[in-house]
Amino acid sequence: MKKAKRLSAGQVVLGFFLLFITLTMLVPLLNILAKSFSSPLESPLMGGLTIFPKDVDFINYKIVFSHPILVPALINSIIITVVGTVVNIVLTTTAAYVLSRPKLTLKGPIMVFLIIMMLFDPGLVPEYIVVQQLGLMGSKWSVILVTAVNVYYLVIMMRYFEKVPLSIVEAATIDGASHLQMLFKIFYPLSKAGVATITMFYAVVRWNEYFRAGIYLTRKSTDTVLQVILRQFVVLGDTVSIIGQQNVFDYNVMARVDYDALKGATIIVAIIPILILYPFVLKFYAKDVFSGGIKE
Amino acid sequence: MDKDLLPNRKHTYWQRIKSERVLYLLLLPTLIFFILFRVLPIINMRLAFFQFRSRGNWPFVGLKYFRIIFSSPGFKQILGNTLIISFMKYILLFPAFVIFALMLNEVRSFRFRKYVQVVSYLPHFLSWVVIAGIWISSLSLAGGVNQIMAFFGRDAVDFMTDREKIRWILMICEAWRSMGWDSIIFYTAIIAISPTLYEAAEIDGANRMQIIRNIILPALVVPMITMFILNLGFFLNAGFDQVFNFSNQAVESTIDILDTYIYRIGIEGGQYSLATAVSLIKGVVGVVLVWSTHIFAKRVSGTGVWS
Repeated sequence: MKKAKRLSAGQVVLGFFLLFITLTMLVPLLNILAKSFSSPLESPLMGGLTIFPKDVDFINYKIVFSHPILVPALINSIIITVVGTVVNIVLTTTAAYVLSRPKLTLKGPIMVFLIIMMLFDPGLVPEYIVVQQLGLMGSKWSVILVTAVNVYYLVIMMRYFEKVPLSIVEAATIDGASHLQMLFKIFYPLSKAGVATITMFYAVVRWNEYFRAGIYLTRKSTDTVLQVILRQFVVLGDTVSIIGQQNVFDYNVMARVDYDALKGATIIVAIIPILILYPFVLKFYAKDVFSGGIKE
Repeated sequence: MDKDLLPNRKHTYWQRIKSERVLYLLLLPTLIFFILFRVLPIINMRLAFFQFRSRGNWPFVGLKYFRIIFSSPGFKQILGNTLIISFMKYILLFPAFVIFALMLNEVRSFRFRKYVQVVSYLPHFLSWVVIAGIWISSLSLAGGVNQIMAFFGRDAVDFMTDREKIRWILMICEAWRSMGWDSIIFYTAIIAISPTLYEAAEIDGANRMQIIRNIILPALVVPMITMFILNLGFFLNAGFDQVFNFSNQAVESTIDILDTYIYRIGIEGGQYSLATAVSLIKGVVGVVLVWSTHIFAKRVSGTGVWS
């Protein structure tokens, strides 16, 4: 006797438990979003579980997008993310192309070198001194170049390139294709998912970078990136430098804004690029993970 | 015998490399990167045995900085914090990742499962600054957690400045951030199990728990070992970014770890040699840990981390 799908008690308990876990992730985010869109008179009174804005107001976002420190930081973040990701992709894919050639004579020693580089972390100060020695202090290139290649992503890329059929490569070689032509006309098109995956990963890491920007880009207050300002404001609770000493004294619009809601708006601005990239990450990387069904 | 008849291996080896020169040219930018930003820092690690000077030669001081480190009472506390936090995150929390994958696999509704996956993978992609911002807000006196506690008649707690609770908060936050994404390795191993195994078990009349114990868990042994070894490699790190963003004066002494110590004495305090000496100890221990567990795991199960 086969019964139509009826939920067992176990399924219900499991469902509620997993729902609870996802709510611990969704509710805080929606709460921050709701507060950031509420008027400064309402938002301080909203609890931590409210997910709908009260008396919708864009004041927090107006402040963020006209702020003398936040706006340059946002622009710097975008520049470092775009240029940095391009540097990442160019270096990683060319290196993966070379190292995925099956008969490369020096492949063994180079791979050993890379694995040692991956395993052994020289630490913060030795790297800091190199950035000083190279005169990169205060330049965006410090942050961009220090993390130019990630060995894990290089290995992922090699796995994709190794799947390109040798017959195609040989045919192209006979036709006299150069290595760069090979890379652009054969390897990129045939490994689209792989290139897309590491592009997303690199871009996310670039956008989220705060630590190196915080120690290398300290010359001027307008040198730094959004995540560093966010840390100063949200984590260290430094409201004065964000609001501005003068505004605090004058007790004008800036000083009367709800700091928590303004922090919320800054957090939301820092999350938006991630939310834009996230569907693509799921599409290219985690695609197979969604297909599995229950087997009984 | 004629000399020319013997194959000249060395000659052909160099000729092969020469014929591949365009490939090495393509690899050159990446190699330059590694030499500048990985090899040069490794050479700079000699600073642990020298006194730093911004100009001129660094005078050799032997083991001076190591003696300072090992004789300072603060270092023992920091090493202890590091090991405790790592133990909580990488060993105590370890089953949670496996259990999450098992639970996900038990969900029957395809749409609900996809919803859980999409939401639970997201925190992995948020920056630690953003995560700290969200947690500080949720755990504040007026935050959501205290609101729920008030509903059950409990007094409000300022979690982020509570020395007793902060390590548990770090552990739970680690679960919150990584449970979804890090369980993928286990979940893919589960969905790769052949359906014939389940059919055979059903014919034998096995119930769900028996299927989990006898079919699913054995399939997870290899990914568990891989994950465990990788975690051991991070044991002296204990998750710098999290501690760095969750720390404050009230709780610093209980969650100060090696990497925050290195940052404080090295970058903030300018004691380059002392910080480098701590990094050197950390680096060497880390490599020994990964290498030895790799060899151990390879001998036991035939699977190491990288080959």
